[in-house]
Amino acid sequence: MSGSKPDILWSPHHPDRYVICDSELGLYRIGPVGSAEAKAGTLPLSEETAATLLAINSDTPYMKCVAWYPKHEPECLLAVGQANGRVVLTSLGQSHNSACKELVGKEFVPKHARQCNTLAWNPVDSNLLAAGLDKHRADFSVLIWDISSKLSPETSVAAEKIRLSSVDLDSSTVVTKPLYELGQNDACLSLCWLLRDPKLLLAGMHRNLAIFDLRNTSQKTFVNTKAIQGVTVDPHFHDRVASFFEGQVAIWDLRKFEKPVLTLTEQPKPLTKVAWCPTRTGLLATLTRDSNIIRLYDMQHTPTPIGDETEPTIIERSVQPCESQIGSFAWHPSSQNRMVVVSATNRVMTDFTVFERISLAWSSTTSLMWACGRHLYECVEDSAEGVESMIEKDIATKMRERAQSRYGHDTVQVWRNHLLAGGKDAQLKSLWHDLFYILSVSHMKQCAEDMELKLQGNVQSVVYSGIKNIVKTTSGTTESRRCWIGSDRQTDVLRYHSEERCLALRLCGWISRGTDTDVENFLRSLEQEHEWERAAAVALFNLDIRRAIQILNKGAMAEKGDLNLNVVAMALSGYTDEKSSLWREMCSSLRLQLKNPYLCIMFAFLTSEPGAYDGVLYESSVAVRDRVAFACMFLNDAQLPRYIDRLTLEMKEAGNLEGILLTGLTKDGVDLMESYVDRTGDVQTASFCMLKGSPGEVLKDPRVQCWIENYRNLLDAWRFWHKRAEFDIHRGKLDPSSKPLAQVFVSCNFCGKSISYSCSTIPHQGRGFSQYGVSGSPTKSKVTSCPGCRKPLPRCALCLMNMGTPVSNCQGTGKSDEKVDLTRENKLAQFNNWFTWCHNCRHGGHAGHMLSWFRDHTECPVSACTCKCMQLDTTGNLVPSDSS
Amino acid sequence: MFVARSIAADHKDLIHDVSYDFHGRRMATCSSDQSVKVWDKSENGEWHCTASWKTHSGSVWRVTWAHPEFGQVLASCSFDRTAAVWEEIVGESNDKQRGLSHWIKRTTLVDSRTSVTDVKFAPKHMGLMLTTCSADGVVRIYEAPDVMNLSQWSLQHEISCKLSCSCISWNPSSSRAHPPMFAVGSDDSNVTYGGKVQIYEYNENTRKYGKAETLMTVTDAVHDIAFAPNLGRSFHVLAIATKDVRIFKLVPMRKESTSTGPTKFEVQIVAQFDNHNSQVWRVSWNITSTLLASSGDDGCVRLWKANYMDNWKCTGILKGDGSPLTGSSGQPSAMSTVLGSSVQSSQNALNGMSQKGQLE
Repeated sequence: MSGSKPDILWSPHHPDRYVICDSELGLYRIGPVGSAEAKAGTLPLSEETAATLLAINSDTPYMKCVAWYPKHEPECLLAVGQANGRVVLTSLGQSHNSACKELVGKEFVPKHARQCNTLAWNPVDSNLLAAGLDKHRADFSVLIWDISSKLSPETSVAAEKIRLSSVDLDSSTVVTKPLYELGQNDACLSLCWLLRDPKLLLAGMHRNLAIFDLRNTSQKTFVNTKAIQGVTVDPHFHDRVASFFEGQVAIWDLRKFEKPVLTLTEQPKPLTKVAWCPTRTGLLATLTRDSNIIRLYDMQHTPTPIGDETEPTIIERSVQPCESQIGSFAWHPSSQNRMVVVSATNRVMTDFTVFERISLAWSSTTSLMWACGRHLYECVEDSAEGVESMIEKDIATKMRERAQSRYGHDTVQVWRNHLLAGGKDAQLKSLWHDLFYILSVSHMKQCAEDMELKLQGNVQSVVYSGIKNIVKTTSGTTESRRCWIGSDRQTDVLRYHSEERCLALRLCGWISRGTDTDVENFLRSLEQEHEWERAAAVALFNLDIRRAIQILNKGAMAEKGDLNLNVVAMALSGYTDEKSSLWREMCSSLRLQLKNPYLCIMFAFLTSEPGAYDGVLYESSVAVRDRVAFACMFLNDAQLPRYIDRLTLEMKEAGNLEGILLTGLTKDGVDLMESYVDRTGDVQTASFCMLKGSPGEVLKDPRVQCWIENYRNLLDAWRFWHKRAEFDIHRGKLDPSSKPLAQVFVSCNFCGKSISYSCSTIPHQGRGFSQYGVSGSPTKSKVTSCPGCRKPLPRCALCLMNMGTPVSNCQGTGKSDEKVDLTRENKLAQFNNWFTWCHNCRHGGHAGHMLSWFRDHTECPVSACTCKCMQLDTTGNLVPSDSS
Repeated sequence: MFVARSIAADHKDLIHDVSYDFHGRRMATCSSDQSVKVWDKSENGEWHCTASWKTHSGSVWRVTWAHPEFGQVLASCSFDRTAAVWEEIVGESNDKQRGLSHWIKRTTLVDSRTSVTDVKFAPKHMGLMLTTCSADGVVRIYEAPDVMNLSQWSLQHEISCKLSCSCISWNPSSSRAHPPMFAVGSDDSNVTYGGKVQIYEYNENTRKYGKAETLMTVTDAVHDIAFAPNLGRSFHVLAIATKDVRIFKLVPMRKESTSTGPTKFEVQIVAQFDNHNSQVWRVSWNITSTLLASSGDDGCVRLWKANYMDNWKCTGILKGDGSPLTGSSGQPSAMSTVLGSSVQSSQNALNGMSQKGQLE
């Protein structure tokens, strides 16, 4: 500890005070940052704490080492070891204290001047102060001073016994006779008193570790080693000692002192400090020179003295309390795992807590549990509903909420599913509208047999195969040059017609039925949804400028309408097909400044050359369905498939659900959905969407099966068993191949034949209790005996009736709450008749009787049977989290 | 969005692992106090310790649940060189009525000669299989051929990884397109030994596990590793806790129908975060693998989330002792983004929690 290199000492009794010593002693108080007593002079130590300088003591030059008096009184008494070997008692800010006064200034002077390396107060007999000095010929290097030698007559009497007395030299405060002299002809580099016996002193001598016993100073126990620096006793395990040499730490067990029980991995640079954590067992902190990290060794096992050769496991960690190089550190005596670190230069201090390693786990319902030290913390997702928070929500939460709202189950108004999903996701909206149009078109085709389409026969598959495949087969395209509606001026815009294009338009939702190309219905619905710009664009593409203007006007007038729409309408009304007009020039340049993409493409359409509509087709913020519809109207047979292919590829790569319109529910569609699932993990939408593709090949795609299985697994993990069952029913309707076969049959004890004709089963989990319906419809027939051999069926353990007899309604216990439950029980009446039994003890009876029995009992109702039927299956005792 | 509260764990020493069961209604913790505790969540969301017993004669490193279709089964591994399988039974005593359940040891797996550092059940579609890895670098795969008899486990595979193993993770994908696969991490700190994460895949023809990949870029000690729940995705995602948080994507290459060797993967590093500014200790995925939580030696728990462009970002920081992170540090806005509108309430909850902490 040279003058420039600082060290820190925590006050043994004031948890908020510590001393920094470099060339002088500085006493600091640590407190919360920004507290009322905080002054301008506080130094921030961390985000929460700051230190205030209380006192400075620069009376003692050439400081080499410092030790804080361990007892309460006098507080703030420090022993300072100097370069000339003198030990001086000094104090900080406590000079008024009388007890202190007599001690402060006292000096203990060795016979020969040499450097004092280390000081240690005896923790019990606190009068004793041990000082370790450098070697001086054959002189002693460990001196134990009695600081009270002048003060109490008893000790001086005791001292005289061993031929020692304090003699004043120059002044009354100088003591030259130590109480004990140890370690002759040697040097002492480090010292510590052993906690298991305060008469024992452990010293790191020149080339050995020695234990001196004050009761018999002529003897010492020692072991030869190089690791003699910084000896320190584990405060939690008094036989464990750490010492170091260069970059290596040795851990000793005093019970088998012959060799270190452990040496820690060597550090490239020499160590400067090693300290046991006082608040936690087995945690050793080490510091090397010129380093900004503190290395921690977590010794998980208290060493055993005998036998076990296994090395204790050590978790090695390093922490970096601050950016600058660390001069020294000190553990806080009581605050858990806390230390203060001082930088090598400038006395920059940092308050730092070493955290235990945190282990953590997510639950299936997105709550996070972590363990820090001995404590557990659970972090749950706040259930507070907020409109704006929906955007932030994780897909797991979204899927849970959507499952609760029966998302995907609306099979009639298919498009409504996006509302069930929250109605906020544009892609889902597009997807469910696509599916709605696909289903309604295919439905219509099936009904209208008089439809004279050459596509008939495989209409279904064509409709499902998406616009990409529909337009590929296009033939018999006619082109027409139409007038602007409401004027007889010819347009130079070519519009293409064919049955396939018409079908595509219908899938886009622009037209609703037949080969009629009237979009008026669509416009009205858009107006209702206040999608003014979109409606105007659709009207314009149908060459009805007047209608478009009318829509824009309406939009401007509507509640919260945008008055700018009127301006747009004005611009629109000035349309001229003159190629070099000012209107055309200005519109084509100014349209790019329009924020709304639909307004933008309107002018793009009006200002572009016929057949070259890139400004419309590649405007990515316009819905895919509108761009495709536009393409179907204005691109020729060569351009159209090329455009659609390109768009499809783009959608597939992006996993954009709008692209389902193009791919349909084909392999392409599965590819697209795959990249959607890759991107979002939304197997719920993928499952429901692909189920709509049945009966088709897509359901046989292993990827689709995988999504469905994963979704079912999610529902199970969330204990949404009812939802899972509903999903299975839904799936069974659309994909009959997914129905599971009957799993359990009950056979007659006598003839071995199955006792029911039609079996229905309840899937059960685990190895516990299971239920079984004896007859498919209990009202149809009363079966009290085996249909094969006519032998009676077993009896219910409670009512002792043969199974098959209807259950009596009297539940026997007559509890009041059962009356309340009456309606509920009526609902379950059929189930009450069913035969259930325990897989373990093979006793059973009417389900209703069994349930009511186990409401009050844990053991089986059969006499002398101690089976706890109901508790055998833990999963069976879990309540579904989605039951209403 | 997230609110932390403390639970009185009552372990006598450091807790090394927490593990939820399939439904998230039960939890197991293990500790240096050589015990395992089982917790059940009551209807009002409170956790109650329903079992606590001494499991090993050393620190218990990890504890893990089997899928409930195999019963209520736990596995633990310890410094005492063993792994053990535990099953909950309803005994003759009225334990259940006292709110305590009874767990009995079904087997002790004693093959390892060194500390068993991790234990994991294989995905349930593979049957009841248990994997351990140990400090001497051996991964062992056990199988219970009869799921009704948990006392019989046969050692099916013994794979030497050459490096001291610290963690293991199964690829949870149940897709037939993906053969069984696990990743093992090593905490060997010697960077010259090369990749510290090895990925093994089952080969149907040789009926053995063969090395499919070594992540050569991960050269520092690996403390934890976690495959993301696959959820029908076409690729696998692996989170690694080393000196930083790393997320790797393993994209299976289209396999030639003739080739019989291990699947080739295109390995992409998706994210690498050194925000912990220290060793990262654990990583954990949520059920949809859209949220990753990590903990580091900085004493913080960080939450990571990807946007639709697969860009991962830190969306939340929580201090390990549950105390709120004050604004002046690192990412001041991060907390508020994840907590959304409920920052205020969470602060209150955290304060409430700390008071509770003092009462304990």
